[in-house]
Amino acid sequence: MLEEIIKLENIWKTYLLGKVKLTVLKGVDLVVKKGSFVAIMGPSGSGKSTLLHMVGALDIPSKGKVYIDGEDISSLPEDELAKIRGKKIGFVFQQFNLLHNLTALENVMLPMVFQGVSEKQRTERAKELLSSIGLEERVYHRPAELSGGERQRIAIARSLANDPEVIVADEPTGNLDSSTGKKIMDILIDLHTKDKKTIIVVTHDPNIASYTEETINIMDGEVVKDGVLASKYLWKKKND
Amino acid sequence: MIKEFIKIAIKSLKTRPIRSWLTMIGVVIGVFLIVSLMSLSEGIKGAVMQQLKMMGNDLIMIFPGEMSDMATMMAGGLELTEDDMKAVKKAEGVETMVPMNYKGEAVRHEGRVKTILINGVSWEDGMDILQNDFGWTLKEGEWPAIGKKELIVGSALQTDLFPGLETGDEMVINGRKFIITGVLNSLGNKQDDSTLTLDLDLFKDITGERKGAKMILARVKPGYDVDEVVENIKAELAETRKRVRGSDSPSFSVLSSEKVADIVSNILGMVQLAVIGFASIAIIVGGIGIMNTMYMSVHERIKEIGIMKAVGARNKTITTIFLIESGFFGLFGGLGGMILGFGLAKLVEFGVKTTGSFYLQASITPQLILFSLAFSFLVGCIAGYLPARSAAKMNPVEALRYE
Repeated sequence: MLEEIIKLENIWKTYLLGKVKLTVLKGVDLVVKKGSFVAIMGPSGSGKSTLLHMVGALDIPSKGKVYIDGEDISSLPEDELAKIRGKKIGFVFQQFNLLHNLTALENVMLPMVFQGVSEKQRTERAKELLSSIGLEERVYHRPAELSGGERQRIAIARSLANDPEVIVADEPTGNLDSSTGKKIMDILIDLHTKDKKTIIVVTHDPNIASYTEETINIMDGEVVKDGVLASKYLWKKKND
Repeated sequence: MIKEFIKIAIKSLKTRPIRSWLTMIGVVIGVFLIVSLMSLSEGIKGAVMQQLKMMGNDLIMIFPGEMSDMATMMAGGLELTEDDMKAVKKAEGVETMVPMNYKGEAVRHEGRVKTILINGVSWEDGMDILQNDFGWTLKEGEWPAIGKKELIVGSALQTDLFPGLETGDEMVINGRKFIITGVLNSLGNKQDDSTLTLDLDLFKDITGERKGAKMILARVKPGYDVDEVVENIKAELAETRKRVRGSDSPSFSVLSSEKVADIVSNILGMVQLAVIGFASIAIIVGGIGIMNTMYMSVHERIKEIGIMKAVGARNKTITTIFLIESGFFGLFGGLGGMILGFGLAKLVEFGVKTTGSFYLQASITPQLILFSLAFSFLVGCIAGYLPARSAAKMNPVEALRYE
C-alpha cells in the first residue's frame, strides 16, 4: 500500500493580531500518501495557505501534530524545520519568488548551496533540471528578463533541486494566463506520473483541481467532507 | 558554501552601488587617516633614527636647560659657560670634549647674500668627532687647516643656495674673508646640508660671542659605560654650578645618543597613539554607517530572506550571508582608505623630497597593511552582527508574505 508521507492530526493555528485572536485552522486532519496528487481547495481566507505552510514545514501549529515522513515536526525549532524543508520539500509559489539578482542557474542552485552540495555537482544538476523543462537557453538570464511562464518553470526546477519527496505548490498558475498555466500544470502532472513525486497544489480554481486525483476542500478553517456541498460552494464563489 | 555566499554578498553590494560607496566612505576616511599618518610618522622616526645611528653610541650631548622645558631650549636663550666646559672635561670617563655653537649670519658669495646657519666647532678636538662619529665626509676638497681662515660648506650650499659655488672660492661673513676648502657629502637632511662649519675661534670672531657654547659633545673613553659617564658629567656640572653660582637647580641636560633616540621615539609614539585614537573614532562612526545600511538592506530583503528560508537556509546561513556583506563594506572601505592613505604618504614623500628640507621615506609595512585591513573588516562584521541576527530570526511565513 501507499505510505503516508504527510499526516496532520487535529491541527489548530491561532494568530494574535494585536489583541484579537484569529483562529485560522480549527482541528484539521489530513493524510497525504506518497506519490499522490492532491489539491487543497478553498476560497480566499479559508485557511488553505496556512494549511499549506503546515504541510510544507514552513510553520508549526498552535496545537496538534504534523508528521512528515513519519517524523513529528510540530515542535521542532526553526533550524530543524529548515533542514526538513531543504531536503524533503520543494516549494512553488504564486509569485514565483525567485531571487531577482541571481541568474536562472543560480536560483536553481540555491537550495543545493544550503545543503552543501559541491559546486560541480550542483551546476550539473541545475543545468540538467533547466534543460528538462526546456530552459537551457535561459540559464544565464535573470528573472526580470524572462516571462511569467519561464519564471515559474525555473521555480519548479528550483523546487526539484534536492530531489524532494514532496512538491508543494501555492496557486502555481495564479499569476499566469490560462494557456501558460496549463503548461505549468502539465509539468506538475509529468512530475507526478513520470517521477512519482507527491504533489500538493493549493488553489481556488476548480479547473486546476480537476487535474488532481484527490481534492481536499477547506472552508473557514475546517475540512469539508461533503464533496457536493463543497463543489457547489466553490462553483458559486467562482461565478460571483 | 562560503564562496557562494561571497558571490551573493557582492551581488547585493552591486545592486545599490551609490549606497554601497557612501556607506564605505566612513571607513575609508578612518583607514586613510591611520595609514597616511602612520606611514609618515614611521618614516620620520626612521629618518631621525638613521641620523642618530650615524652618530655612534659613545657620544654624549650636553645642552643648557632641561629637556622637559622644550620651549626654553628652542628659544636658545641659554648657554653653557666656560666653567661648564671645564666640568665636563674633568668628569671621569670623558675622552674628548667639543663645544659647539651655531648662529645664523648673512653670508656673501660672489655678490649673493644669504642668511645661513654657521656652526662653530673647535677643530682641534672636534674634527675627529665630526669625521668618525658624525660620519661627515668630503664630496670635494679637503678639511680646513687649524689656524687658517678656512671653512667647509654643506652640500646644499653648492646645489641650492649658491649654485656654482666651488672649492677654493672666497666667502665673506660679517666683513671677514674665508676660503672654502671643501664641500661635504649630504648629511641626511636639508637643514644640516644648508649650514657651513668653521673653527670655534673664527666663529667667536665673527659673531662676537666670546664665551660659552650652545652644546657640548663629549666622547666616552674606551672601556667606560656610557650611562655611567652621563652620571659623572651630571655630578660634575651640578657641583660646578653650586660652587660658582650658588644655585642648586641643575639647569642642563646630559643625554647619550641612545637616550635621544628614546625621547624621539617616545614623542612620535605619542603622536601615533593620538592618530590611532582619532582615526579609530572615524572608523567606529563608519561602522555605525554600515550598521544603518545593513538594517536597511535587511528590511528591503525580507522577502528574499523568506525565500531562502523556504528553500532550506538555516538561521546561521542567513546570519553568515549578511555578515559577509557587512564585512565587505568594512574590507572594501579599508582597502580604499589604504590606497588613498599610501597615495597621500607617497605624495608627501615626493613633495618633501623635491622642495622640503627633510629626506623622508614613507614607511609602508606589511603589518600596517594587515592591521588596517583586518581592523576594518572586523568593524564591518561587528556592525553587521545585529542586523544579520534580526534577519536570521525572521519567521519564514511572515517574511514570504511581506511585500
